[in-house]
Amino acid sequence: MLVAGIDVGVRNVSAVVLRDGDILSYCILTSGEAGATVSRRAVEKAIENTTFDFTDLRYIVATGCGRNGIPFANRQSTEVVCQARGAFHLLPSVRTVINLGAESSRAIRVGEAGRVEAFAKNDKCAAGSGLFLETMSTVLETPVELMGELSLKANGWEDVSSICAVFAESEVISHIHRGVSRDRILVGVHRAVAGRILETLGTVGIKSDVMATGGVAKNAAVVKELEDKTGFSIIVPPEPQIVGALGAALLAQERAAKS
Amino acid sequence: MIDEFRERLLNRHQVAAAWKEQTGGKVLGTFCCCVPEEIIHAAGMLPVRILGEHEETTEVDIHFPTNLCPYCKSCFDQALKGKYDYLDGFVIPNVCNVIKSMYGFCKLLLKAPYVHFVEVPQRLSSNGVNFFAEDLVEFKNSLEDFSGKQISNEALRNSIGVYNENRALLEEVYQLRRKSPPLISGSEAQEIVISSMLMPKEEHNRLLTQLLDWVESRDNLPGDGVRIFISASVLDDTDFLQLVEECGGMVVADDMPMGSRYFYGSVDSTGDALHALADRYLNKIACPRKMLPDERLAFADNMMKDAAVRGTIIHNMRACDPHLYEYPLLRQKMESKGLPVLFFRGEETETEREQQRADIEAFIEMLED
Repeated sequence: MLVAGIDVGVRNVSAVVLRDGDILSYCILTSGEAGATVSRRAVEKAIENTTFDFTDLRYIVATGCGRNGIPFANRQSTEVVCQARGAFHLLPSVRTVINLGAESSRAIRVGEAGRVEAFAKNDKCAAGSGLFLETMSTVLETPVELMGELSLKANGWEDVSSICAVFAESEVISHIHRGVSRDRILVGVHRAVAGRILETLGTVGIKSDVMATGGVAKNAAVVKELEDKTGFSIIVPPEPQIVGALGAALLAQERAAKS
Repeated sequence: MIDEFRERLLNRHQVAAAWKEQTGGKVLGTFCCCVPEEIIHAAGMLPVRILGEHEETTEVDIHFPTNLCPYCKSCFDQALKGKYDYLDGFVIPNVCNVIKSMYGFCKLLLKAPYVHFVEVPQRLSSNGVNFFAEDLVEFKNSLEDFSGKQISNEALRNSIGVYNENRALLEEVYQLRRKSPPLISGSEAQEIVISSMLMPKEEHNRLLTQLLDWVESRDNLPGDGVRIFISASVLDDTDFLQLVEECGGMVVADDMPMGSRYFYGSVDSTGDALHALADRYLNKIACPRKMLPDERLAFADNMMKDAAVRGTIIHNMRACDPHLYEYPLLRQKMESKGLPVLFFRGEETETEREQQRADIEAFIEMLED
């Protein structure tokens, strides 16, 4: 039986296709056009090199902030529940999921069978989000993909505000004007992002094992700052951007089995 | 039937202005649950609660910085826009620092003809009640001066009776939403409570009696969502509760000044009337400004008793110090009872509505899962 989960996010749309409960394929596309269009394409691209096509899909669950705009989805589910399910499937011992998305970061405490016990979201501006890192990437003229790596090589850091993305940007610009090295500023930026997330984590409490998901989890410097600050080691799955879509696909699997 | 309450809530300014026109009486604006409205009622005047609006503030920002209580700022803003011009005066209790500052604002900026400051003690105690009762004598005197009429003991007793009846009826209404399935929704119950703050109590009592007769035969029941307890600082209309209910929740119990705290606890109808009023308005209103955390948490516990709630939503207005400082304790208490908590630091405007919707949907899905 073939089912799919789609995570319609602010920056990316991910689709995961399951065959009899196992991952058959997935695809990640950049958001930008209508959610329904890009979601359909993500699913189609995910299955294009398989022997199946779109009509073979028995059940589709959509999640993410654009989940309600997908007419071909059978059901919608929230990001919180899908992230927990997806992470639990990848690592049954997971108890805390740190979902680092483009728009916001969330801390989710996971219990038995991958069910959510508690969650919290950063409620102060964009300072803990992926979009903030993108802004910093422009200001520092450094591709987002390289930010983590460069930061890990730096010697020391320059403080950057963790309260407000606009203030942080002007702070970074003034550091640049003062001739502070880019790498030191990058560390400051990552420390600020981690600081913001730490507060959210504190609200739900952190328990091992801890997994980081979402696009920002690909930034090794943010993950390392979080490890240093919490004292917990953090597991990043091979493709952290599909965890939400995987959770949605698992819910689709459950639904399809029932129907 | 519920429309009767909704209509009065939505047209609150017209309702008060019409009452004034018909009776020739005076209308006084009040803040917070701790102004003993019975004394205003006994003076033949109509007390109405000052509420904010969701619209962006435009007039108030030249007077106050952005980081003040959004509810109070919205109230100031509405007053500056002339929405409260029909009021003959204001009664300002000594509650939080921002409401306290309304006194000077009403007197000096609005130049209202009558502004009275009610001194509310800081702590529950018998000394506090004695002090409060003495202050209420001054309040009564000032109303007599303003109206040119004496307030008799008999009139006070009558008003206490009318208000106690209102409280008892509202408590019956609250029982309706605890049923399974609820006979009225949480947002409908709040609509009914807020409308009580805005119209003559006798008329409200009449409507409540009709409602209680009608509700048993109600055919369009509100549905049976995930049972939620809400603790809030200021939710001055029903939009937030409606949002919770749109997302699949059902608010079956609350701890809110614009909810249970308004009518919980009756006034002793024997003995000295002002002393009895002081006792109820000091000792029975569960506000973190007056109660210590253990007393407050006991109140919250009592409100949700037997309501079979499955989760708690805490909504505190941004910059509401008394509630925000209590929040971590309340959260701990709820979690220790096995109740998951969703927390919002709210605004008066609706800018965060979609963010809130996303979180509430996730919370409800989590509770259902």
